Amino acid sequence: MNMKKTIFTTFIFLISINISFSQSKVEDIKEFKLDNGMKILVLEDFSIPNANMYLFWKVGSRNEYPGITGLSHFFEHMMFNGSEKYGPKMFDKTMESVGGSNNAYTTENLTVYTNWFPVSSMETIFDLESDRIGKLKIDPKMVESERGVVLSERSTGLENSNFRNLSEQVKSVAFMAHPYRWSVIGYESDIKNWSIDDLQMYFDTYYSPNNATVVISGAVKFENVKKLALKYFGPLVNKISPRKIHTVEPKQNGEKIIVVKKQVSTPNIMLAYHVPESKHEDYYALDLLSSILSDGKSSRFYSTLIDQNQKATSAFSYYPESIDPNLFYIYSVTTPETEPEELEIMIQNIIDDIAKNGVSENELQKVKNQKLVGLYNTLETINGKSNTIGTYEMYFGDYKKMFSAPEEYQNVTNNDIKRVAKKYFIKDNRTVGFLIPPTK
Amino acid sequence: MNKLYFSLSLTLMFFIGAYSQENFKLPNHELMTLKNGLQIYLVQQDEVPLIHFRAVVPAGYKYDQKGKNGLSNIVANSISAGSKNYTKSEIEETLDYIGASLSTASGMESSIISSNFVSKDLETVLPILKDIILNPIFEEEEVNKLIQRVSIGIEQSKESPRAVIGNYFNKNLFKNHPYGNPASGDKESLNSIKTKDLKQFHKKHFIPNGSAIAIVGDFEKKKIKKLLNKNFKDWKKGKDIEFEAPKISPLESSKVLIVNKENARETTMLIGGLGVPRNTEDLISIQVINTILGGRFTSWLNDELRVNSGLTYGARSGFSSYKNGGSFSISTFTANQNSERTIDLALKTYNKLFNNEIDEALLESSKNYVKGQFPPRYETNSSIARFFTDSFVYNISLNYINEFSQKVNDIDINSTNKIVKNYFPKENLLYVFVGKAELIKPFASKYGEVQVVNIND
Repeated sequence: MNMKKTIFTTFIFLISINISFSQSKVEDIKEFKLDNGMKILVLEDFSIPNANMYLFWKVGSRNEYPGITGLSHFFEHMMFNGSEKYGPKMFDKTMESVGGSNNAYTTENLTVYTNWFPVSSMETIFDLESDRIGKLKIDPKMVESERGVVLSERSTGLENSNFRNLSEQVKSVAFMAHPYRWSVIGYESDIKNWSIDDLQMYFDTYYSPNNATVVISGAVKFENVKKLALKYFGPLVNKISPRKIHTVEPKQNGEKIIVVKKQVSTPNIMLAYHVPESKHEDYYALDLLSSILSDGKSSRFYSTLIDQNQKATSAFSYYPESIDPNLFYIYSVTTPETEPEELEIMIQNIIDDIAKNGVSENELQKVKNQKLVGLYNTLETINGKSNTIGTYEMYFGDYKKMFSAPEEYQNVTNNDIKRVAKKYFIKDNRTVGFLIPPTK
Repeated sequence: MNKLYFSLSLTLMFFIGAYSQENFKLPNHELMTLKNGLQIYLVQQDEVPLIHFRAVVPAGYKYDQKGKNGLSNIVANSISAGSKNYTKSEIEETLDYIGASLSTASGMESSIISSNFVSKDLETVLPILKDIILNPIFEEEEVNKLIQRVSIGIEQSKESPRAVIGNYFNKNLFKNHPYGNPASGDKESLNSIKTKDLKQFHKKHFIPNGSAIAIVGDFEKKKIKKLLNKNFKDWKKGKDIEFEAPKISPLESSKVLIVNKENARETTMLIGGLGVPRNTEDLISIQVINTILGGRFTSWLNDELRVNSGLTYGARSGFSSYKNGGSFSISTFTANQNSERTIDLALKTYNKLFNNEIDEALLESSKNYVKGQFPPRYETNSSIARFFTDSFVYNISLNYINEFSQKVNDIDINSTNKIVKNYFPKENLLYVFVGKAELIKPFASKYGEVQVVNIND
């Protein structure tokens, strides 16, 4: 113990929070808006001869309703299945033949398309994107084969991931009203049954240029990006305005418990607490609390549950970025001799202890330091840059917040941590899920 | 002078300012060799105020003795649980406090110790890394806790076909060769591992001769050299590690292994055979051909099995290469009832390779793709560090990056056919299916001799 103290007093001097990224500073990100409302953010970075284009669309499973659950994600797949100039398969074929690759992902809140390419191919990428955003063609044959693909994606997730199995059931119970209650991939029966009209309606509603933010990072010149954006994205027209998502999840008045049976060797448990959205003032305190619980081997969960008491083989917390109030998840897998209820009580005790006694100054500073290093890590690549810029723009309302985030974290006090632990992590506000074998 | 020997291999290329794929170059580096044989690569990169440290020691799981499978993995994961000068909690709390990552892992050829940290913490982190590599104490209680955890983990991994299928494939492909070793061992072998085994393994394998360190990031060269020398000069040389193993020979006839998972929704599969060693001269050409077969979204396999038929979320192929050999496999998964159709279509698609169906335009597209996607592979400090330690472990020329584009450009249709013939296994394939055995058995024998095992065994 003595030794530790020496180390800390010698090396405690914190990472300065006056961050100066030797390359990227807030003023290095240049922005403009096209007349149709599409916002474009550009970061020049010449470390490799490549660039990327990330398109963030404000549409996700929160925009769905029963009958079309999973449609946002399915639609993401359909965006690769043919448009006017580039027919079925031609989006990928054309992009790959000029050295580019792509992917896309859908969340509860957003659909994000990602293109990675040698900068010499940038104009092709603009052409491909503008064609599918402006003139997508929904081919019935492609829809049918894509249903099979997405059913396989859904099934392989359930086959290989316990988290997937348990979280979709926990969400369905934790929310009674808000569309966050279904999984992003949707219900099997909806995947099999939505119609071409549903797809067309979705496209006309959510794929208007004013519903997107485009981020481009890499070995590009701002002026050139601007020229290409005007040429290819400028003519895109807005269609139907999306309906506002006005459903507010009613306050939970008592603990909810759900049991799911699956052939597992040791039970898995999930605790989910209602928490506010990313723009809320408690965001940074909650995010730091998540780190205190589960980041690193000195975290509360690892040291208590896994190392000292050997009640769990894994334990983590997850506080996703979110447009509307969402859940703070805790997930843990028991060791063979441990009853899931025992582990659940231990987890709640760890949080109750923080609500009562707070954390040590050392512990708080530790997670602040980790957050800063985490930001540096994401800024090491052009993809990390584009994704982070887009994430701050979409969830926090302004990409500039990415640069003030270290200070926001720095301002969180021990009292804030205590306060949020006390406010949100109460039994009446939680749902507990148990994944156990059928014989239990 | 001090005790350093500088065997200088400075490349005078410019990294920044390389705007096209054609002249994307290896960053400047310096190699220093300590008297004890330790090789250290230094690469300065200042995009972010971070440093990446990566050490490789000749202690991979291919060295696990029969009956002690999983030992290398237990050693790698125990070295950070307390050393001569730092207790376990001192290591964990010190590194966590400054946001430094630490990973210790066992690979096929080497054990790898890597850490990512803020530049100004160099003098805090380096002595810790040195101490866990050179002087771990392997306290019995900690070792037993870890063995227990790994043992439970092996049981838990049986819940996911994807997590276990590779082990079945390697075991049946490499047979008695250590490349068939399961990285984490099995319940029985873990039970037989004692603390003294860890100490012996560490003493024999964690030696400077045969090890390399790569440090990439924002540092002052003079200072870091001094620190490295101070920390690693007294690392005692050991007996050079010899690796003796039987010859790797291909299967004599096709074989089907069905791993029964009673509650499976889908069949998860690997189909393939032997591949190539990592330093194979033709590896770049092989990569270009594999890109066409199953290495990108529009590849033949993904196009047929996913896009055209909706049978799966994804199908791909690839080579896993080690120092003295490797494997090739096609991988995909599909709903139970589509298994036979999917396997047949995968084989039919694979056979296009042997019918010379690659044309000029397709080859050109693949070459562009491979070149275009190349620079981002060396964008981070950790990936550059990995390049240097890989070049050391696998004996790959440091010119690999600089010559990459030219080598891709040189591939033509004629060489393509030769590559297919020489490196892609055509006959006597190994098929591993994880799924419901009763549904797979009826048609499996048409591919080869069938063996059925249970996933819980």
